[in-house]
Amino acid sequence: MSATEASANPQATAGGIGIANLPNQLHKIVTKKGTNFSLMVVGESGTGKTTFINTLLTTELIEPLDDATRRKKQLDKTVDINIHKAELEEKMFSVKLNVVDTPGFGDYVDNNDCWLPVVDFIENQYEQYLRQEQQPVRKGIVDMRVHACLYFIRPNGHTLKPLDVRAMKAIGARVNLIPVIAKADTLSPTALRQFKKRVMDVIDAQSIRIYQPPVESDDGNSEERNREIISAVPFAIIGSTLEVKTEDGRRVKGRQYPWGVAEVENDQHCDFRKLRSLLIRTHMLDLISTTEESHYDKYRTTQMKTRKFGEPKPKKSENKKFREEEEALRKRFTEKVKLEENRFRQWEQKLIAERDRLNKDLEQEHNLVKQLESEIEAISNAGSPNNKFFRK
Amino acid sequence: MAPSAPSINSTMSSRMATARPSSYRHKSEKRGMTYNIMLVGQAGLGRRTFLNTLCERAVIASPDAPNPETANVADPMKFDTYEVAMEEEGTRISLTVIDTPGFGDGLDNTSCFKQLQDYIEAQFDEVLVEESRVKRNRRYRDHRIHVLVYFIAPTGHSLRELDIELIRRLGEYVNIIPVIGRADSFTVEELDAFRANVMRDIVYYKLPVYNFCWDETDSEALVENREIMDHIPFSVVTCDEVFDNEYGSVRIRRYPWGTIEIDDEAQCDFALLRYILLNSHIADLINYTEDMLYENYRTKKLEVGGYGENDEEEDDDEEDQALGAAKKQE
Repeated sequence: MSATEASANPQATAGGIGIANLPNQLHKIVTKKGTNFSLMVVGESGTGKTTFINTLLTTELIEPLDDATRRKKQLDKTVDINIHKAELEEKMFSVKLNVVDTPGFGDYVDNNDCWLPVVDFIENQYEQYLRQEQQPVRKGIVDMRVHACLYFIRPNGHTLKPLDVRAMKAIGARVNLIPVIAKADTLSPTALRQFKKRVMDVIDAQSIRIYQPPVESDDGNSEERNREIISAVPFAIIGSTLEVKTEDGRRVKGRQYPWGVAEVENDQHCDFRKLRSLLIRTHMLDLISTTEESHYDKYRTTQMKTRKFGEPKPKKSENKKFREEEEALRKRFTEKVKLEENRFRQWEQKLIAERDRLNKDLEQEHNLVKQLESEIEAISNAGSPNNKFFRK
Repeated sequence: MAPSAPSINSTMSSRMATARPSSYRHKSEKRGMTYNIMLVGQAGLGRRTFLNTLCERAVIASPDAPNPETANVADPMKFDTYEVAMEEEGTRISLTVIDTPGFGDGLDNTSCFKQLQDYIEAQFDEVLVEESRVKRNRRYRDHRIHVLVYFIAPTGHSLRELDIELIRRLGEYVNIIPVIGRADSFTVEELDAFRANVMRDIVYYKLPVYNFCWDETDSEALVENREIMDHIPFSVVTCDEVFDNEYGSVRIRRYPWGTIEIDDEAQCDFALLRYILLNSHIADLINYTEDMLYENYRTKKLEVGGYGENDEEEDDDEEDQALGAAKKQE
């Protein structure tokens, strides 16, 4: 269509055919379809993961553990993966939200490889999606790929622990990793600034890959806001679902100490609003698209290079602790088998002995029978010639 | 700066003066009492600042900035000894504090317990050897650990495997006083709930923490000790700056939303803990270490060594401690 024809059309805007209406159509489609968002929280117990999620969603999605479950987990030595699903709706737009929790991470004396279940979970979701994509019927794909992983750093005031470094390295290579300083209200402002700087130094020095939100945007305001958000990494957060009253009478979400109220939504106190903005308001789409385009694609490429189309994934060696259990089970199994074999062998011996005994008896009887038979023969033989004897 | 401790009266200090003398302490009282405290806890729970605040001066300097290049490898646990000469209410104390940086900071921390146990046993062994000398060293200095202050992380749930294992393994060698490091991460309700959870765990796993009520002969002290045990684990907040106002200098920790006064008993147990550690309970802690823990160790060691001691010392001081905690729970 030439420009002259387009300009001749009275309904078209200056120099357009109506392509500019596409975003509106897309908006309608997306609004109707809703979207699917998976968020993972990783960190030692007691870092405020549950409270943060409940604060973020302003609803108690994850309930606190009761005593019995907690006691079972104390010496459990394993990391679990718990998935909480929710459907959020705001102004006619619905989001299917999945929150993945990892109780047991970093909680034990020996925390070697405790990030393996986390990494396995992430990769399994990619695998599931890959397999579903390759099916002939692709309707109704279940997409549980993790779009963002929040790593909760305990605020020890020094630097990252070796556990944090190793875990973040492994996780950051596979998913959008966002480091978060938990319970930031235990650090004074100077200590917090210093801690943030040290954490970033370690992240740079150890080549840990974290999520970098894009800075450029259409309007200058959001660019400024984006820059602010990026400079606040790692995010220092305070979580609270309770409403309390501050000294100047405001009712806010926060934590009430004897010495004051730490407010959740106050940028001077913590970075909660920036993180919420990053996760939901401004960068949710970017999180989803980077997961699909970059992380998932990387996984897909590496897998397809080595595997044929449609083949299942080869199983990796499992967790060390499970291997030990497996060994123990196998040993018990072989022992039991040996016991049973012995029992059968003894039974066999007994049967053989019995058989021999019976055979001997049989032989004896047989001999007896033969003897009697020969006697009968002898008698009967003697009987006929005996007639001559007797006649005499 | 005199700590305010209204609930503890002055009979505590008089008890200290009339503590049972033993041949070692008699001589060393001239130089001041020998008193050894060990601090154990993961990095970032405030051990160093606790020590500095306890002694009211910078005993341990701030560490150098950590090297980001080596952040993926844990530093091994070490024992740093600091000697501080103190004077509390007229008595000179020759205080030695042993800090244990590196505890619980690695990926696999199973070896930390053995290291600690070996260290504590080594001090017992030294005394054992010294006791059996024909000619005893007059200048002998007692390095036995009289109290181990263990810093629990303020998770808000309950004890972790590391905490449980440590108390279980070391409770028979040393008096363990559990404290909550960085207790300013709790609101009042959360602190109470956490304390209750920790005490429930201590009873459930029969953890041998120091039983303040081990000496049941002094009924007055028993009442005070039962009150003290209500505060276990003690909440500790450490001091960032000293603020001078019209009443003198006040030790505080400042936040954008408020300021904590460290020595205010309503806000944290630091003042109470300081009084217990440096004033009221020194004699108790030393006595228990020497008369119970050390004697038990000595008996076990000599039995194994084949000296043929048939008499078995009461080994139920651990039961006493757990019972004391259970009684308190009722």
